[in-house]
Amino acid sequence: MLKLHNLSKVYRTDEVETVALNSVNIEIEHGEFVAIMGPSGCGKSTLLNIVGMLDTPSSGEYWFMDEDVAGYSEAKLGNIRKQNIGFIFQSFNLIDELTVAENIELALLYHNIPASERRDRVAHVMDKVGIAHRAKHMPSQLSGGQQQRVAVARAVVGDQAMILADEPTGNLDSAHGQEVMEMLQSLNEEGTTIVMVTHSPAHADYARRTINLFDGHVVTENLRAAV
Amino acid sequence: MFQNYLNVALRNLIKHKLYSAINIIGLAVGLAACILISLYVRDELSFDKFWSNANNIYRLQTTFKIPGREPFVTVMAQGPSKHALKEYFSEDIDKVTRFNNMNTILRYKGGVYSQEMMWTDPETADMFSFDVVEGDIHKALHDNASLAISQSLAKKYFGDEDPLGKVVTVNVHRLQRDYRVAAVFKDLPHNTVLKFDALAMIDEKDFAQEPWEFTQWFSVNNYVYFTLKPGVNIARVNDQLAAFTNKNITMPSAITGGQKRDASSFITYDTLALPDVELHSPRSGMEMKAAGSLTTVIIFSAIAGLILLIACINFMNLATAKSTQRAREVALRKVLGAKRGQLVLQFIGESVFIAAIGLVLGFVLVELALPAFNQFIGKDMVFNYGDPVVLLLLVGLTVTVGVLGGAYPALVLSGFLPARVLKANKSAETSGSMRLRSVLVVVQFSISIALIIATGVVYGQKLYATNMNPGFNKDNLLVIHNVGRTGARDKQEALKQEILRMPNVTSAAFSDDTPGTSDENNTSVKVPGSETDQSILLGVQNVDYDFLKTYQIKLLAGRNYSRDRTMDGVPDGSKAKDGEMLPGTVILNVGALRRLGFGTPKEAIGKQITMGIAGPNGKPAKTLMTVIGVIPEIHFQTLKNMLRPEMYLYRSHSPFDSLTVRFKGNPEALIKRIEGTWKSMITTVPYEYDFVDQNLAEAFDREANTSILLGIFSGLAIIIACLGLYGLASFTAERRTKEIGIRKVMGATVFDVVRLLIWQFSKPVLIANLIAWPVAAYGLMRWLQNFPYRLDSWYLVPCCIAAGLLALLVAWVTVGGNAAKVARANPIKALRYE
Repeated sequence: MLKLHNLSKVYRTDEVETVALNSVNIEIEHGEFVAIMGPSGCGKSTLLNIVGMLDTPSSGEYWFMDEDVAGYSEAKLGNIRKQNIGFIFQSFNLIDELTVAENIELALLYHNIPASERRDRVAHVMDKVGIAHRAKHMPSQLSGGQQQRVAVARAVVGDQAMILADEPTGNLDSAHGQEVMEMLQSLNEEGTTIVMVTHSPAHADYARRTINLFDGHVVTENLRAAV
Repeated sequence: MFQNYLNVALRNLIKHKLYSAINIIGLAVGLAACILISLYVRDELSFDKFWSNANNIYRLQTTFKIPGREPFVTVMAQGPSKHALKEYFSEDIDKVTRFNNMNTILRYKGGVYSQEMMWTDPETADMFSFDVVEGDIHKALHDNASLAISQSLAKKYFGDEDPLGKVVTVNVHRLQRDYRVAAVFKDLPHNTVLKFDALAMIDEKDFAQEPWEFTQWFSVNNYVYFTLKPGVNIARVNDQLAAFTNKNITMPSAITGGQKRDASSFITYDTLALPDVELHSPRSGMEMKAAGSLTTVIIFSAIAGLILLIACINFMNLATAKSTQRAREVALRKVLGAKRGQLVLQFIGESVFIAAIGLVLGFVLVELALPAFNQFIGKDMVFNYGDPVVLLLLVGLTVTVGVLGGAYPALVLSGFLPARVLKANKSAETSGSMRLRSVLVVVQFSISIALIIATGVVYGQKLYATNMNPGFNKDNLLVIHNVGRTGARDKQEALKQEILRMPNVTSAAFSDDTPGTSDENNTSVKVPGSETDQSILLGVQNVDYDFLKTYQIKLLAGRNYSRDRTMDGVPDGSKAKDGEMLPGTVILNVGALRRLGFGTPKEAIGKQITMGIAGPNGKPAKTLMTVIGVIPEIHFQTLKNMLRPEMYLYRSHSPFDSLTVRFKGNPEALIKRIEGTWKSMITTVPYEYDFVDQNLAEAFDREANTSILLGIFSGLAIIIACLGLYGLASFTAERRTKEIGIRKVMGATVFDVVRLLIWQFSKPVLIANLIAWPVAAYGLMRWLQNFPYRLDSWYLVPCCIAAGLLALLVAWVTVGGNAAKVARANPIKALRYE
């Protein structure tokens, strides 16, 4: 699915040069469920942003579906991104002014899909994540767990091959956190590749492989048998 | 405490440079425009209030109601009305004086000058409190060989020499006399409707040969002012004006058509207080100088208010928008013990502080703009900071703007619950304040759009009026004046022949009036043998046989006057025997055919009319004139007058007042050449010329100026509105960063995001159009009613659409730049932290 080769990311401000990623080599196969762990500031989010094509590496290669996208323009990256990658965030990132259904529909809005088909697909994923009865509500009227379910629904409604989740359970209590993890697991079983950043070893256990980052380096890679 | 408030206020100003700049500049420009317009309005309202008995001076004005015509409204009265007023209103009226402006030829030390002088009655010295610097104005106006002149006139002719006792030779009509300067007065201030630099006493005997100046009841050449006796109300005079008319004037049967009718049904008088003349003149163009108009004063006052409103709306909008970002500060202050009242005071104080900065900057702008503004509107106004009324007004205005701008955010913010704000760590903006902002933006753009439409229509009307086809070719026509004056009249035919021989001259024609005049000259005629035997009043233009050729007017039927036919034109009545009806020929316009019932132009040829002429020794005689030609109706008078039925009379035996020359190419060399010829032939009359197209356009100078001022102020309005929109857009973009980030992650392109933001701000502009269009269209249609010849109403449609598009475009450009910047930003930052 994707392969990072000697990938580095350096942030420069006027005086300071911060190396966020230092010659990282990672390969992720189709249908994998990978957890990325590490302390604050180790480069997890930078890695996820680059993988998600929201940011570009300073050097190295990023092969995505047999294409080296490291040097691609923003517009080109945007196109690949919207075809292939769905996102889930720690803070949900739902638009406060839109209803649950409209928030989910957003992921289809920029894909030239006719309105009727958009409606059907949104209704379908809402059923799937069990949020259909809340379709007309605003995000502020939902609990954290429900909001994250909406976010999951939004990430999958476009049938993207890969989902990037940035601490999807960080803002949730354990019960809701587990609910979301189970949802991700079942998606993975249906064939979606999932890359997840997390602080929780328990949630990392849902993944088949854990990559530990420290100061921009890949320290260990643990392969686990499926739970 | 105060120090802390001031620190926070200043740091906020500096931190949010864009908002601060928009707020302050917008307010400064708004206040400056408001101050300038207020100065103008105050000045217009100050007219003629400075005379010591300003409240007791009135003017008599005459309106002629000519059957079949629009009433002829004047601001003057007839010469004999002075004596008649004194006699009829002996109980009520104290003093009466006349002003009669004449263009004289003044000679001093070998120089010959054209000089306007005002003939007036001795009472003027008692009624008007002139600022006399030398001599005695009472003595000057009681002597028919003395002058009272202004300081600037004294400077013009006598330089630094003492003007008192200087002698100049003045020639007007048949009067030629040496006048001695007996008084010098300070130049009249600009805020009076009176305008003259020289006063001479009216001695009616001097003008016995020109009865129309002072002794005829059917000519109006005098501004007649009078004062009331103590305790008399002007209403007493007004009530008796009809009776006054009937007692003094008997209508000739020629005009009443033989019936016995009261003069008051043909001639009506009204009175106007001197201080009201400037803004209530019924005919601004007939005043000594063009008067102002109440409509203009009202329109510009409204514009000043609207511009200020737009600036205040900016102020409020940006203040409310920005304030939500300060929710945390407010919450913290509350946690630390601030009371709601203290917070309200802090925010209002801050906003008054910003308004005060705006006011100071506004002063600077006023000082910078005032000289140009003065020059443009022809005034010399000063902005007097010491004036307590002005200061109080401005301070009041600043505090009001500050409080209005600060009150809403102050009240909303101070009402937040601190725990919620601090915990959520986000701006808790209410939907109410967002809706309010949208409404205010709609208001701003409605005003701006309406102003743009008004500018377009006023300018369009000006263009329409000045480019209107007057019925003749107005280009390349040079008018030479003074050819009928003593010293020139005997040589006018020779002069014309000389000019015709010059290169680039294609033709030349004599006439009394030239285009652009508002003078009225009417004569009554009869159709012999018609059943009613009624007299019909027709306008008169005196022209020669080259007139049609020079002005390029096509005959609709018949022929032109010919110099070879000695019987053409109006016959010389002085050779008439008693009761003899002299034959003559006449050219009429189509309007006259309609009035006379002569049918089509072809049918009219050969028909006859009779008209009174001067017979031997001043006795009346008559002529029977045959219609030989018919021309279309042309706008020979000012384009502001309605077309009228007219005769174009040719009087071969009397000299004309002006000569019109049609030329080719650049006229400059020609003007010089004619001047040389003039000076070699005519030594006692100055050479004066102007151009027909310029004279016609001059009548619309006021509309031209108004449209430019409207353009400037509506431009300011829309700039201020856009400043506000820019501020709001950048604020909104900031507030929506998270949303934009999400949309981008979901695949929205830069274009998608820009479109989103632009559409958000297009909505209020589109709604503003719906409000502005009908309001502006209604107002402008009423304004256009003032013009006899005006743009069609449909012209408003493209004007409205263009104004709407312009506003939309400006809004897009304003919002778009900012939106593009926001849309290009990397979404990560927006999404990481909320």
